[in-house]
Amino acid sequence: MNNQVLTPTTVATLAMSDISKNYSGVAALTDVSVEILPGEVHAILGENGAGKSTLMNVATGTTKPDAGTITVQGTVIPALTPGLATSLGIAIVHQHPAVLPDMTVLENLQVALPSSVFAGDQGAAAAARAMLDGVDLDVHLNERVENLTVAQRHLLEIAKALAVRPALLILDEPTAPLGGAAVDLLFRRVRDVVAAGTSVVYITHRMAEVRELADRVTVLRDGRVRGTAQVAEITDHELLAMIVGRQLDSTFPPKRESTPDDAVNFRLAGFGGPGFVDFSAEAVRGEIIGIAGVVGNGQSELLRALAGLETFNGTVEIEGNALTSRDLLHRAAYMPADRHGEGLAMSLSVRENAAISALKSFKRFLFVSRRTELKTVGESLRSLSVKAPSMDAAVSSLSGGNQQKVVISRALLSDPVLLIADEPTQGVDVGARAEIYAILREASSRGIPVVIASSDAKELEGLCDQVIVMSRGQIVETLRGDDITEERIVSAAVAATTEAVSVVSGRATAPRASRFRRFIQGDYAPTALVGAVIVILGAYILTQNPAYLSTFNVTNLLTAATALGFIAMGQNIALLTGGIDLSVGPLAGFLVVVASFFINDGKPIGMVILGLVLMIVVAAVVGLVNGALIRFGKFTPIAATLTLYIALGGFALLLRPEQGGYISQGFQGFVNTTFGPIPLFFIVIVLLTAGMEFALRKRRWGWRLRAVGSNEESARRIGIGINRTVILGYVATALFVVLGAVMLTGQYGIGDPSQGSAYTLTSITAVVLGGTSLLGGRGTFVGTLLGSLLLQQVLNATVFLGLGTVFQYFFQGILILAAAILYTVGRFRRRKRALEIEGELG
Amino acid sequence: MADATKRETGLLKSSPVNVSKGLITIGSATVLLLIISGIFAPSSISPTSLSAMLPVASVLAIAGLGQMLVVQQGGIDLSVAGAMSLAVVIVTHVPDGNSGMLGPAVLLAIAFAIAAGIVNGLMIGGLGLNPIIATLGTNALLYGLNLAISGGRPRITTTLLASIGGGSTAGMPNAVFFALAALLLVAVFVKRTVAGRRFEVIGDNPRAARAMGLRVKLHQTSAYIWAQLLYCGAGILIAGITSQPIAYAGDTYLLPSVAVVVLGGTSLLGGRGFAIPTVIAAIFLQQLNQFVFSLGVSSAIQIIIQAAALAVGVSLYTVNWAAIWTALTRRTRAVTP
Repeated sequence: MNNQVLTPTTVATLAMSDISKNYSGVAALTDVSVEILPGEVHAILGENGAGKSTLMNVATGTTKPDAGTITVQGTVIPALTPGLATSLGIAIVHQHPAVLPDMTVLENLQVALPSSVFAGDQGAAAAARAMLDGVDLDVHLNERVENLTVAQRHLLEIAKALAVRPALLILDEPTAPLGGAAVDLLFRRVRDVVAAGTSVVYITHRMAEVRELADRVTVLRDGRVRGTAQVAEITDHELLAMIVGRQLDSTFPPKRESTPDDAVNFRLAGFGGPGFVDFSAEAVRGEIIGIAGVVGNGQSELLRALAGLETFNGTVEIEGNALTSRDLLHRAAYMPADRHGEGLAMSLSVRENAAISALKSFKRFLFVSRRTELKTVGESLRSLSVKAPSMDAAVSSLSGGNQQKVVISRALLSDPVLLIADEPTQGVDVGARAEIYAILREASSRGIPVVIASSDAKELEGLCDQVIVMSRGQIVETLRGDDITEERIVSAAVAATTEAVSVVSGRATAPRASRFRRFIQGDYAPTALVGAVIVILGAYILTQNPAYLSTFNVTNLLTAATALGFIAMGQNIALLTGGIDLSVGPLAGFLVVVASFFINDGKPIGMVILGLVLMIVVAAVVGLVNGALIRFGKFTPIAATLTLYIALGGFALLLRPEQGGYISQGFQGFVNTTFGPIPLFFIVIVLLTAGMEFALRKRRWGWRLRAVGSNEESARRIGIGINRTVILGYVATALFVVLGAVMLTGQYGIGDPSQGSAYTLTSITAVVLGGTSLLGGRGTFVGTLLGSLLLQQVLNATVFLGLGTVFQYFFQGILILAAAILYTVGRFRRRKRALEIEGELG
Repeated sequence: MADATKRETGLLKSSPVNVSKGLITIGSATVLLLIISGIFAPSSISPTSLSAMLPVASVLAIAGLGQMLVVQQGGIDLSVAGAMSLAVVIVTHVPDGNSGMLGPAVLLAIAFAIAAGIVNGLMIGGLGLNPIIATLGTNALLYGLNLAISGGRPRITTTLLASIGGGSTAGMPNAVFFALAALLLVAVFVKRTVAGRRFEVIGDNPRAARAMGLRVKLHQTSAYIWAQLLYCGAGILIAGITSQPIAYAGDTYLLPSVAVVVLGGTSLLGGRGFAIPTVIAAIFLQQLNQFVFSLGVSSAIQIIIQAAALAVGVSLYTVNWAAIWTALTRRTRAVTP
């Protein structure tokens, strides 16, 4: 590769020519042509919204272009898909790492990468270690990714991309969360892979990085290529001229005229919080403050702190009064960038959204006066010229601009002391933009301090009286008056060489966990706890009643625990995918009813086998229906499995309106076979548990299952088939219920339509006791088995301790609540601590 | 899309009555069911049949309204069964046939309901526990209390409660009036009070509510308390309409209480709650039972039809049938040009 000469005959690693892409009529890319040559670092520069991300989505097959051709290594690819892109050696490191928080570092690597990467004499762990060392990520392989910092997760993502030795590596703003040492290391690694022949596409906002790393640079603006050049042959000034100069497409209200009696009404001193430090600014009445910078440099965090949503240090003064975070939360009006996620109650009406912050002022006696509300909200919506079919229209049916005006209406109606807007015109059409600018200017001139963050420098130039440019959480420039130009803003942002505010490299962050702490935070801590409780409780009961360990009682206890255990193991699978299966109980009951038609005394062995096969088939169908309703019918897991719960009860009653069909004595005898006090099937369940545990930890099936439950979006991005995994998960759940039903045939001895449904709630109880999270992604089979044992032990204990059924219920309730509180609160506290560590560090 | 309608000059209109998709769906299904009942099994809409169906539907409606408040906040409450059963047991066992003791017994039941609601609310809203586990645990505790009081034995209800809960006024079972009162209470609370309006926004989008400075946890906690009070009311009503209610009387209402909420159009993921459709769904489910029962088919079929109704009901909200229909018809049209 090193002897390759860049001549016109060189075949490009990736060539995209005349790519165009429209989103509902709006051009995101127009006739874009880029060639990535072998062994080069090709930087793509441009402002936010210039089309960089769309172009890279085209390159990785995530987005299908409307026009243009993609050529990989000289071969035209008519329809590029993510899977095809991967097999052609195209790897991308996204800005937001696709990691699975509940799984360990090693498992994250194993689930995302082909097993060939881990093949070697030293084993998977050594291979993984080498990958992490390659990016200098010093975390334990068994550390949960949840405990990693943002920077560490990023390094993990880079390690994953490098591990497949890609022909083309796309890095999307990789240095944003990294500190100096980590950036240097990353650059070294990029140079290494380039030396080995890989081509690199490097997306960035920073000119300094382009200079340091890239061979060639392409600048995008408004979805068009503004030019491609050798980095060595172009000046900073020429580059900047290509980046800026976007067409001005809205009109702005006149800026504030300064007057002699200017009084400062807004002051920030030493303002700092998560993601930004030492921010000081002040504004006089009527001034709009703009916050500029490349997206993700602390602007949003600054605004959130101003809105009272984050804790901060330093002072905020409005009209001379210092305000606390709590004051700000209730008295400042915040217009978030994520309008759908954080700005509006999308399914509620325009009226309800606009009125929500001002309801108290509409109150007459106990109730909200409809007349006052309609009048005030109506006036406000009219003054903002909100266009909607009526006040009752769902806010989701409005255009982006009108939705934003509803947010503004809500903000203004709340009579705020401060107005904070994050990307106020994102997704807003041109006409509405001008109106929004006028509204913000109007509010400002009435004396409400207005702070706006925007990634559109042209917007800030037109609207603001002062613009503060941030880079990596710090102020790099404050512009006023005629200095506020798009060029000055952009150049301050892209030329900044500041390092991320104490976001440190992977090596220095979060102290390496001790083995003990890792265990406590691991999936097996609840298992150990439950095991200990079982032993202690058993010992206590034994001191009270020596008959406790009698063969009869032990057999009884283990048999009951085995039946519950099988069903609970099935439930465990559903919970690991982040779902739940309420139908397990009635399914078990129904399967017993099915068995009662085939497995009777006097029936030939063929009939018995047919019955067992039928049980398996029925269960598989139920699992498929559950899974299909959830994935294809978009039912919530509760709604889907509740439907099956009811239906299966009905089918059981249909087949057996009354008890009937004695299970053959021989079969019951087989099910209840014991070796000493130990039932045969208890041995089966122990072996099966061990096998399932192995599959869950060490096999792709288990990784996929937990990945889907841990974070569906990340799982999709690393190429896991979500539908397949979940549906097969529910089938597996149902198959475990078959085993549970076989146990129940031995216990009931008869087909009884009314039995079984109680196992739904008991199985959930057992699984939760065992430490599996109902949020999905974490849990164990061992814990589930122990949970089933403990539950049966407690029920059994009340008998031996001479306590009544009352205590059965009390113990059960206390047990489940104690477990839930212990596991949940412990986990939240850890997460909070992890966030605090991150907060302190950056 | 709304931009086309130019209305800058006038105030936007707001109609005092809004008809939700849930109301149309479940409302028309219920009317259809009543018509079908009238044609195929006239006995199922006879006065006797209706006066047997309506009290049970009323109990389910009240319990369903409680469940709806919880579901609205993205939760689910499995302690319905324990809560209703406990209320039944308290108002039958404490007075033990003595009508004079009914008042204190009701107060005691309410006190327990509030306590249970606070426990649920603090664990779920405060500590962030999963609602399924937390309410499962509470349910067991409530049954523990229940058995401690009742020993699992039924007891004959007081004559006073039987006449109030089980009686009729102007030919209409009293239970119906209690259900209507509960509906009115919930609807007025949610639509007409400051707290209720905030409650709705929090259910629809807790993140946005938090960004507005609303007390998300407090409202989520309150949902469980209101719900318990409604379950308590439903339980007392059971004790009124049944002469000797069993100690596990609430069990049969657990799953239907979720079903009516879902059929009424409230999403199990949280969001706006639909009180009137929830109540209608309760009537629908009960009438469906009566109808199938009158047809003389086995109760198995009755249950299977319930499940089918639930599946169809949910899919009306989750699956975009209109789009599927268009796609299908377009394909057939394309095939046969």
